[in-house]
Amino acid sequence: MTAATVPGRAERSTSWVPVAIMLAQRSLVSILRIPAAVVPLVAMPVFFVIAFSGSFSSLTKLPQFPTDNILSWMVPFAIVQGSAFAGFGTGFSTVRDMETGFYDRLLLAPGSRLALLVGPILAGVVRCTITLTIVLSFGLALGADLPGGLMGVAALWVASVGVATVATGWALGLVYRVPDQRAGPMLQIGIFFAMFLSTGNVPVDAQTGWVRQIARVNPLTNILELARQGFLGDVRWSTTWPGLVAIAGSLVVLWTFAATGLRRLVR
Amino acid sequence: MSAVVLDPHEVHIGTREAVEQARALARRSIVGTIRQPQVWLPGLLFPMFIAAVNTSTMGRSTSIPGFPEVDSLLDFLLPASITQSVLFGGLSAGSDTATDIQTGFFDRLLASPVSRTSILVGRLTGASVMGAFQAIVFMAVYGAFGVRLAGGVAAGLLLVVYAMVLALVIGGFAAMLALRTGSAEAVQNVFPLTFIALFISSAFFPTELMSGIYRSIATRNPVTWMVDGARHQVIVGLDWSEGARSLGVAAVLATLSILGANAALRARLRQAS
Repeated sequence: MTAATVPGRAERSTSWVPVAIMLAQRSLVSILRIPAAVVPLVAMPVFFVIAFSGSFSSLTKLPQFPTDNILSWMVPFAIVQGSAFAGFGTGFSTVRDMETGFYDRLLLAPGSRLALLVGPILAGVVRCTITLTIVLSFGLALGADLPGGLMGVAALWVASVGVATVATGWALGLVYRVPDQRAGPMLQIGIFFAMFLSTGNVPVDAQTGWVRQIARVNPLTNILELARQGFLGDVRWSTTWPGLVAIAGSLVVLWTFAATGLRRLVR
Repeated sequence: MSAVVLDPHEVHIGTREAVEQARALARRSIVGTIRQPQVWLPGLLFPMFIAAVNTSTMGRSTSIPGFPEVDSLLDFLLPASITQSVLFGGLSAGSDTATDIQTGFFDRLLASPVSRTSILVGRLTGASVMGAFQAIVFMAVYGAFGVRLAGGVAAGLLLVVYAMVLALVIGGFAAMLALRTGSAEAVQNVFPLTFIALFISSAFFPTELMSGIYRSIATRNPVTWMVDGARHQVIVGLDWSEGARSLGVAAVLATLSILGANAALRARLRQAS
């Protein structure tokens, strides 16, 4: 980063809220301008619902499986996965801004840098809500059960927003350190590892071997439990709070990663 | 296209020279691939990772009635991993052709007395050799984790040949795209299609345990025909009719994709002259 920056606190007294909203809008407009951006947001989760439910429908015959409807298991997983990619997309649109020099101009502007972190969060929340709306409608139309009703949808939304925000922190932390397209594969690998080494496809009791040990301590396992509970039964506090704690812990770690990355970039 | 191109009718090259040129270009293709581990290594590691995760998370699925008799899910997944790796790796052959076009190397080839067919043959031979390498690596690594080929050494050879022919299928298809578009990005955009073709097949789970329209599509997917034939050699034993089915389907697809690539090459040559 070679651009001159404005470090003085006095010059950065402008409110960060409108700037954050503008940055979020800018990120969201890219979805309309770059059709390929819709793929990870909607097309991939829809494909995962079809592919995983179709391929692995017999897994529900395992005695450890909590439902006999594979869609009720896979739809929330696909939505959480799509939400993670919503955060990934937000981070990647920051890479484009860096490569075009727009981010340098933002750093030069007399606004609080908090907006640079909050803007992508807002964009991630909107992106994952789009994913949830479309994929949930698709899943319910195919036959997924939702005995938890509106509370189940609310739990799923909280989990999706949490995962999107965590993934945004991961994406920003990485692109602040590797500010070009090379960050893309690293971002994806991180998300894929977290997803596959959890209870994405199979409940932890049905797993065997090394993945089972990792899935037990993977925070995403608790977040998926939070997301899925409305599809498997009623929403309960006992299956809600571990997910909330997992989201909070992941946010602290990955947003510290993002904030220190931004500080490093500015320096 | 402003490159100087020799008239194809004026490029009179004997068979021996053409073979020699194809060999040199195949060698270039292989060396170029080896020098870029970031291109081929994910194609090896990702299928291994998926297989390792699936074996651990879905290991109990082998006890579901209707699942073929296997010692471990890893036995079942070996042909799927080879197929996945070759499909992903074969795309890089097409990407490299597109890169040659983008960097101007292709134009320099056209300006030199090189057999036009050798350009394609060289690239596809390179992809095929990489396919064999991938199959051998998977058999060795999975073998270290206890996978034994029920069909013995002959089954291993069959899997290697299967991987080589499959590499021609995807390599030819990717080369066709590269020659038509001249864009490495366009070739890479095919990646999701290979992913979909692989997923809606018996690669990761037996079609007998699928249901509805998904099963109907999966049983009609050529990837299922190829993978099932190859899998038979691993989990049941050597069966030439199953092997012939697998290789036959791959050979037909390879012929079609090579014909497509050849037509694309001729079209590009016409455009350039």
